[in-house]
Amino acid sequence: MDESALIHAAQNGDLDSFNTLILHYQDAVFHTALRILGDEDPAEDAAQEAFISAFRSLSTFRGGSFKAWLMRTVTNACYDELRRQKRRPTTPLEPETQDGDEMDSPRWLADPNMTPAERSEADELEHAVQHCLDALPTDFRTVVVLADIQGMDYSEVASAARVPLGTIKSRLARARLRLRECLRGFEELLPSSFRLEEERNS
Amino acid sequence: MKNFRDIEQISSYLDGQLSLSESAQLESRLTSDPELGSVLKEMRAARGLLRKMPARRAPRNFTLTRKMVGLKPPLPQSYSFFRLSTAIASVLLVLTFAANSLPRIGMGGAAAPVQSFATCNACGGGGSDTTGAPAATEAPAIQAPSMELVPAPTQAEPGASADSTRIGEAPTAEAQLQKEPEPESAPQDQSRVGAEALIPLTWQIILLVIGLGSAGIAFAIHQNARKKWS
Repeated sequence: MDESALIHAAQNGDLDSFNTLILHYQDAVFHTALRILGDEDPAEDAAQEAFISAFRSLSTFRGGSFKAWLMRTVTNACYDELRRQKRRPTTPLEPETQDGDEMDSPRWLADPNMTPAERSEADELEHAVQHCLDALPTDFRTVVVLADIQGMDYSEVASAARVPLGTIKSRLARARLRLRECLRGFEELLPSSFRLEEERNS
Repeated sequence: MKNFRDIEQISSYLDGQLSLSESAQLESRLTSDPELGSVLKEMRAARGLLRKMPARRAPRNFTLTRKMVGLKPPLPQSYSFFRLSTAIASVLLVLTFAANSLPRIGMGGAAAPVQSFATCNACGGGGSDTTGAPAATEAPAIQAPSMELVPAPTQAEPGASADSTRIGEAPTAEAQLQKEPEPESAPQDQSRVGAEALIPLTWQIILLVIGLGSAGIAFAIHQNARKKWS
C-alpha cells in the first residue's frame, strides 16, 4: 500500500483511496477509542466520527505521520463523546447475575478459541486494566493509550495530543505511576511477574 | 517514595528516551538504590500489562459512503446554465407582475382623494339639515343661488348689488355640479388602465415557459448525474 499516494488521491476527493486507508487503520482507531472511552458502542461511534472528520479535514494534513494525525482526530472524537456523556449520563444495559447485580465481565464478548477458564482470567485482567485506565484523568489516559497500547513514540504522541514533548513525558510518568498503584488492588489477577515484584517489595 | 523527577526519568528510561549520559547516570543509581530499582520493575510490569492487552478488532468496517461525507455528484456545465436561466426567468416573471400591478396601485391612491372629496360634499349638504346653527347659516348661501340660478340671466339687470354677489357664487356652484359626475368617470379610467397592462400577458407566459422548462431540464440533469454517481 502506497500510503502517500492514497493520501494524495484522497485529498483530491477520491473516497475509494480514503476507504483503503480506513481499512488499514480501522482496528487501531477503534482500539484507541475503546481504551479511551472504555465501552464498545461509544467507541464505535467515535471511530466512525473520526473517519468522517478526517476525510473532511484531509486538506489540513501536511505530511508527517498519518497515523499520528489520525489518532489526533480519534482523540478529539473521544473527547467530544466524553463531553456528550457528561452532559447526558446514561445507564448501561449490562447483563445481570442471578442476584440482580451487574456482571463485571460480560461473557457476550467471549472468544471461542479460548477455554472458559482462560477467557475468564483474560476478561478479568483486561477489565482490571481498563478499570485503572478509566480512573485516570482523560489527558493522562490518552497519552498512555497512545504510547503504551498503540506503541507510538513520544514525538508521534506529542503530535497526536497537540502538547509539547516535555508534557508527554510528564503525563506518561504520572499515568504509569497511578496505574501501578491502581493495579496493586487487583493483585490476584496480575501475572506472576507483577506479583513477584510485589512480594519482593513487601 | 521517590520524587517525581526520578519517576519521570525512570519512565523515559523505559522508553529509551534518555540520552546516553542520562541513562548511564540512572543505571548507576538503580544498582545502588534498590527502591528505585523496584519502581522501575513495577512500572515496566504495568507497561507490559498495557502492551499485552488484547487488541480489539473493529466490529465492523468504518468505510465511508459519499452520502456520509456529503459528497455531491459532479454536474455538467449545462446544469448551472439551466439553473441560472430558471432563476433569471423567475425573477423577471415576478418583476412583470410587479410592473403590471404598479399603475393600479398608483390609480388607487389617486382616486381615493376624489372619492373622499365627493363624499365630503355629500356630507356637508346632508349635514345642514340635521346639524345646528352654523351649518344652517351656510346652507342657504349655497342652496339659494342654485334655486335662483335659473331666472338669473333674465333678471340680471334689476338685480343690483345683492344679486351680484350671488352671481359671483353661481359659477362655483355650477362648477361643482359639473364636477359631480367625475367620481363616476374615475372607475372607468381605472379599469381602462388595468386592461392596458405594462407587460403583455404573452411575455409573462413566455417567461413562465422558459422558467419551468429550464427547471425541468436542470432537474433531469441532476437526477441523471446522481444515478450515474451511485
